[in-house]
Amino acid sequence: MIDWTANYGFFLNEQHDMLRKTVRDFAEKEVAPYIREWDRAGAHETGVAEHMLPIIKRMGELGFLGVCIPQRYGGAGFDYLALAVVCEELERVDTALRVVLSVHTGLNSLAVFQWGTEEQKQKFLKPQATGEKIAAYCLTEPNAGTDVAGMQSTAVREGDHYVLNGEKTWISLSDLADHFLVVAYTDKSKRQRGMTAFLVERTMDGVSTSPIHGKLGVRAGNTGSVVFNNVRVPVANRLGEEGEGFKIAMTALDNGRYTVASGATGLIQASLEASLRYAKERETFGKPIADHQLVKRMISHMVLNLETARMLCYRAGWLKNQGIRNTRETTLAKWHATVESFNAANDAIQIHGAYGFSDEYPVERYLRNSRGAIIYEGTRELQELLQADFALEDRVSKPLRCELPAYDEDFWNAE
Amino acid sequence: MHAVVCVKQVPEQNSVKINSDTTIDASGITPIINLFDEYAIEEALQWAEKNDGKVTVISLGPDDATDSLKKALAMGANEAILINDDSLGQVGAQGAAKVVAAAIQKLGDVNIVFCGKQSTDDETGQFGPALARFLGWPQLTYVFKVHELTDSQIVVDRALEDTLETVEASLPVVITAVKDLNEPRYPSLLKIRKVSKQPIPTWTLSDLGLSADSLGGTINIAKRTPPPPRPSGEILSGDVQTQVKELVQKLIESQIL
Ligand SMILES: Cc1cc2nc3c(=O)[nH]c(=O)nc-3n(C[C@H](O)[C@H](O)[C@H](O)COP(=O)(O)OP(=O)(O)OC[C@H]3O[C@@H](n4cnc5c(N)ncnc54)[C@H](O)[C@@H]3O)c2cc1C
Repeated sequence: MIDWTANYGFFLNEQHDMLRKTVRDFAEKEVAPYIREWDRAGAHETGVAEHMLPIIKRMGELGFLGVCIPQRYGGAGFDYLALAVVCEELERVDTALRVVLSVHTGLNSLAVFQWGTEEQKQKFLKPQATGEKIAAYCLTEPNAGTDVAGMQSTAVREGDHYVLNGEKTWISLSDLADHFLVVAYTDKSKRQRGMTAFLVERTMDGVSTSPIHGKLGVRAGNTGSVVFNNVRVPVANRLGEEGEGFKIAMTALDNGRYTVASGATGLIQASLEASLRYAKERETFGKPIADHQLVKRMISHMVLNLETARMLCYRAGWLKNQGIRNTRETTLAKWHATVESFNAANDAIQIHGAYGFSDEYPVERYLRNSRGAIIYEGTRELQELLQADFALEDRVSKPLRCELPAYDEDFWNAE
Repeated sequence: MHAVVCVKQVPEQNSVKINSDTTIDASGITPIINLFDEYAIEEALQWAEKNDGKVTVISLGPDDATDSLKKALAMGANEAILINDDSLGQVGAQGAAKVVAAAIQKLGDVNIVFCGKQSTDDETGQFGPALARFLGWPQLTYVFKVHELTDSQIVVDRALEDTLETVEASLPVVITAVKDLNEPRYPSLLKIRKVSKQPIPTWTLSDLGLSADSLGGTINIAKRTPPPPRPSGEILSGDVQTQVKELVQKLIESQIL
């Protein structure tokens, strides 16, 4: 079998290769043998995907959850490209694993790293980087997804606390997380400039969560609602300044979308690998179906989309390493990789014929899992609008009060 | 305690393809650490941690065998040595054992050597015993549990074909590990970041005071054929009663029942 990850030496080094082997080994040994069972259970169970807890803890111990976080904050000290490598390898086995990296690491931990005070980094980032605490990201509400300004959650300042009220829904890891990055209005009249971000802890009075059942995909993972009922959040738990919530939410998405794009790349690779295996084995009309031109076309499109998605992801990661804003490049990678991961899984089912329609083979799970990523962290339509707006110069990324720090090996290595 | 682990880099089994002329297609081969050696590494690391000791991994192989040595370092080994020499291309298990024995003697303070029971490519199983012989040390083969290991003695269980044996030996000693001796750990991410900067010295035959003609005969593979294909199955016909009868008859005929 061709090594689809070879020849990316202009972005990746030997350390990334060893990291990739380690993550792949973990996912293949500790998740792949059980994933069908977990996915099936998630279709009808009433639980909260408890099987994920030991897996998340293990990913924490092994350093995956803090892969690109400096060692002084409990991380492994790799660069941002390493985050892409971890996401690719996790989603190559199952999307539920990569979702953990997206919300826990990409959306929450990196936002704390970018915007948090030193105390917040010690209190939240450190135990998150090691997996001791699990983190989620709460932006979406029952009546507000793409239109973030339509949110209704509010936080009212009372002395050295804010009183938080509202409901967030479609929150990944809602029932497993200890920490929630929550965006709410502190001044509704200011619209986007009236939003503020908070680091809410499950142990605070008034926080309750419940799982969503009947999902099309990511059934092995946990998604649900989080309700805040008069939760008293100390001012010390406010991330950034009052009014910076929208910016924080959007820059978090620059990192979250990067993990989603890399994961989708891994899913394309999984679809391609499954298709190659099957196409060589299955025979019709006296020859392997791999010899039929229309099957070859499906394979060649998977290869094209795998490699273009991967390169777009690595370019975004490289920009992050340089400390260059990358909203345009990251959303482009996210759009392309997620849409094409669905197409790749769809063609993988086609190549498998009726067997692809059954969970005897993994490709139908790939299809169901790929679908959500075309909706979450910005729908396909939002990515299309963003790309056009950037091209038309209707949108420019203005400098931020806190930028994501460029990768600096000495700083990342220091204890 | 200074433990040495002998690590061989082998092709991952399902990556090996045989060309139509029965030679091996080297292009698609994924090199990995020999399965049994991973258990040897893990066992050495666990006991070195308990005894405040040190682990050195040694591989005799081509330059890219450093990949396996780096993995062992990222798992926690302290040092690694590659033995590579142009004249070692065709060396057999005995010759390899002689070279590695010389390297262990050169290190000087080694008191235990861990090997896998065999390599998954050549499958000769000779390396560990031959190494013990060249070192003049006792050998404990097929070890599936180490009960006790101090600077002077070791107590292990050996899995023999029809017996389990508990054995005590005094150090220095060579042990060979079987599968499931332990659960090999994953490389640590922090160590992955360090090992890519850790130099791995390469020792040649002259560093070890050996010459190619002192290594005994080489083994050349004269012919390689894939195992005969399995005979295709037979589908019985008729109603269930007849089919079952026929099936039982066939099982008796082939002496399975
Ligand atoms: C599995 C899963 C996990 C998720 N995890 C999280 C999480 O951890 N945290 C979190 O905060 N959220 C999460 N979400 C929510 C997700 O981010 C939202 O579903 C997404 O932002 C879209 O919002 P919506 O569902 O309200 O759709 P809507 O915003 O109502 O959009 C509906 C449709 O209208 C289109 N549309 C909307 N506005 C426009 C426009 N201006 N122009 C053109 N088309 C438009 C959209 O593209 C879409 O097709 C998750 C969702 C899923 C499915």
